[in-house]
Amino acid sequence: MTVNRKWTSGMASTEDWWAVWLGLFMFFAGLASIGDVDLVGWMAKTKTWTDLSKSLAPAGKAYADWTPLASLLMTYAVFTVLTGIGAATMKLDVRKFLLGWTTLFAITWVVWIVGHEAHLAAPVNKWEKYGITWGLSLGGGASYILALAVGLVIGNFVKPLARFLQEAAKPEWFIKTAIVYLGIKIGVMSMQAAGFAFELALAGACATFVAYLLFWPLIYALARKAFKLPRQWAAVLSSGISVCGVSAAIATGGAIRAKPVIPVMVSMLIVIYAMIELIVLPGFYTWAAPDQPIVNGAAMGMTVKTDGADAAAGAILDELMRAQAALAGVFWEEGWILTASIMTKIWIDMFIGVWAFLLALVWVYKVERAPGQRAIGPSEIWLRFPKFVLGYLLCWFAYTAIALFWPDVMEAARVGAKTVESPMRKMMFMLTFVAMGVITDFAKLKGMGRLALLYGLSLVFIIAPTAYVVAWIFHRGMMPPTVAG
Amino acid sequence: MKADVELVLAHDGERWIARGGPIRASGRTLGELDASVAEALRAAGGPVGPRVTVFMGFDFDTLPRWMRQYAAHYFNRTVTVEV
Repeated sequence: MTVNRKWTSGMASTEDWWAVWLGLFMFFAGLASIGDVDLVGWMAKTKTWTDLSKSLAPAGKAYADWTPLASLLMTYAVFTVLTGIGAATMKLDVRKFLLGWTTLFAITWVVWIVGHEAHLAAPVNKWEKYGITWGLSLGGGASYILALAVGLVIGNFVKPLARFLQEAAKPEWFIKTAIVYLGIKIGVMSMQAAGFAFELALAGACATFVAYLLFWPLIYALARKAFKLPRQWAAVLSSGISVCGVSAAIATGGAIRAKPVIPVMVSMLIVIYAMIELIVLPGFYTWAAPDQPIVNGAAMGMTVKTDGADAAAGAILDELMRAQAALAGVFWEEGWILTASIMTKIWIDMFIGVWAFLLALVWVYKVERAPGQRAIGPSEIWLRFPKFVLGYLLCWFAYTAIALFWPDVMEAARVGAKTVESPMRKMMFMLTFVAMGVITDFAKLKGMGRLALLYGLSLVFIIAPTAYVVAWIFHRGMMPPTVAG
Repeated sequence: MKADVELVLAHDGERWIARGGPIRASGRTLGELDASVAEALRAAGGPVGPRVTVFMGFDFDTLPRWMRQYAAHYFNRTVTVEV
C-alpha cells in the first residue's frame, strides 16, 4: 500500500527520486576530481573499432593501466549495487530484478560495442584513420538504433524473455538518471557557451507555454465533438497526447478524479505511439530539415511523449543530424540538438503539476461540484512535480557556478564531469533504448479502435505540425556551436 | 489540516473503496462513496458529530506496476460528511 501524504513521500520508493539519487551520487563522485582524485574513471567506454580488442577502454586517464574487461566488470559491479539498492527500497522483487538487470546489461553492452564497428559508426572524415573505404557514418546513432531494434524484437517476438526482463526494464528510471547526468553535460557546455544555453532554455519555456495553450483545447474539442468521448476520457486523453504522455495522463486522471482504468488505457496507447514517433521522427526531421538542428530538437521535445522516448529520439536526431552535416564539412558540437529536445520536454514535465492543479480546481468546483468536498491543496503540485528535474538543474547550475566563480578549478572539474556526462550517460541511454523496446508490445493496439484512431489523427494533424511551427517561431536561426572536424 | 478519520482509497475496476480500521465503504461514484463512508462511520461508532472530516489517501499500488515509473501520485481528497 502506497499513499502519498507528506512532501517527502516517495523519496526512497519511487524511480523518480531514485534517478536523483543515482544522478547525484555520480555527480559528487565526479566532483572529486577537483581534489585530484578520479573516483569515476574506472567506467568503461566504447570506442569506434575495426579490431574488437580495441573496442573498450577505461574512461579515465588515472585508470589507463586497467584492462577493458576489468573496467567493464567494475562498471557492472558499481551499477548493479546502486540499482540493486534502489530496487530493494522500491520494494521490487530484488532477485528477479538482479537477474533481469544482468541480462539487460549484457545485451546493452554487446549491442553498444557492435554499434561502434567502424563501418557503422565512423564519420566519413575518419574512414582513412580506420582503414575503411565505405560506411554508414551513423556515429553513436548506430548503437541507439540497434539497441531499439533488439529491444523491440524481444518485446514483440521473444515474449518469455521480455517477461523475464520486465522487473528490470525501467526505461523511465534509466532515462531520468541519464537526464541528471545530462545536466552535467549542459553545465560543462555552458562553460563555453553560457549565453546559448540560457537562450535555449528561455526559448524552450516560451515554446512550451504556447504549445500547451494550443494543443490541449484542440485535442479536447476534437475528442468531445468529433469522437463523442465522455468528459473524463477526453480530458485524460488530451493531456496524454498533448502534454507529457503517461505522467500527464495519470496527473490529469487524478486531478479530475477519474476511475484509474481511464489513465491506464490511455497510457497503453501513449507508450506504443511514443515508440512509433521515436522510430519515425528522427529520420524524418533529418531528411526534411537538415539545416534546422535546434528547431528539429525543440519540435521533437514537444511532439514525442514520455521522457524516455523523447530523450531517445533526441539522441538519435543528434547523431543523425551531426553525421549528415559532417558529410557537408560542418561539425556541430555533440549534445546541443539533444539538449534542445530535452529542454522543451522538461518544461512540459514541470508544468504538468500546475496544469493538473488548475484542472482539479475546475473539476471540483465547476464540472463535478459535490457537497462536502474540500479545497484542493497546492501540495498536489509538489506531489506531481518531476523530482529528477531537481537533480538535472542542480548539476547544470553547479558546473556553471564553477565556471563563473572558480575558473581556476574548471579543468580539474572537467575530468570527473567528462566521464559522468559521456560514457555513464550514454550507458543509461543505451539501457533505456533496450528497456523501452522490451516493454513495447504493439499487439496492445488491438481493440483500442476509436481511441487509437483519435490518437493517431491528433498526432499527425495537430501535435506534430503545431509543435514544428511553434519550435520554428521560437528557435529559428539558432545553431549549435561548431567544433573542429 | 488534521482530519478526524483517515482512510485509504482504491478502485477495483467498478467501485471506489475506502478502508481503514473497522471502516469499509464503497460506491460507484465518489458521491456514493461519501454517503457510504458516513453510514460506515455511524455503524462503527467512531467519531460522531454534526460534521466529520475524512481524509482519503489514494493507494498508488492500485495502478499497474509498469505505470508507476511514470508518476508517483494520483490524488488525495478530504471531505466533510454528516454523521
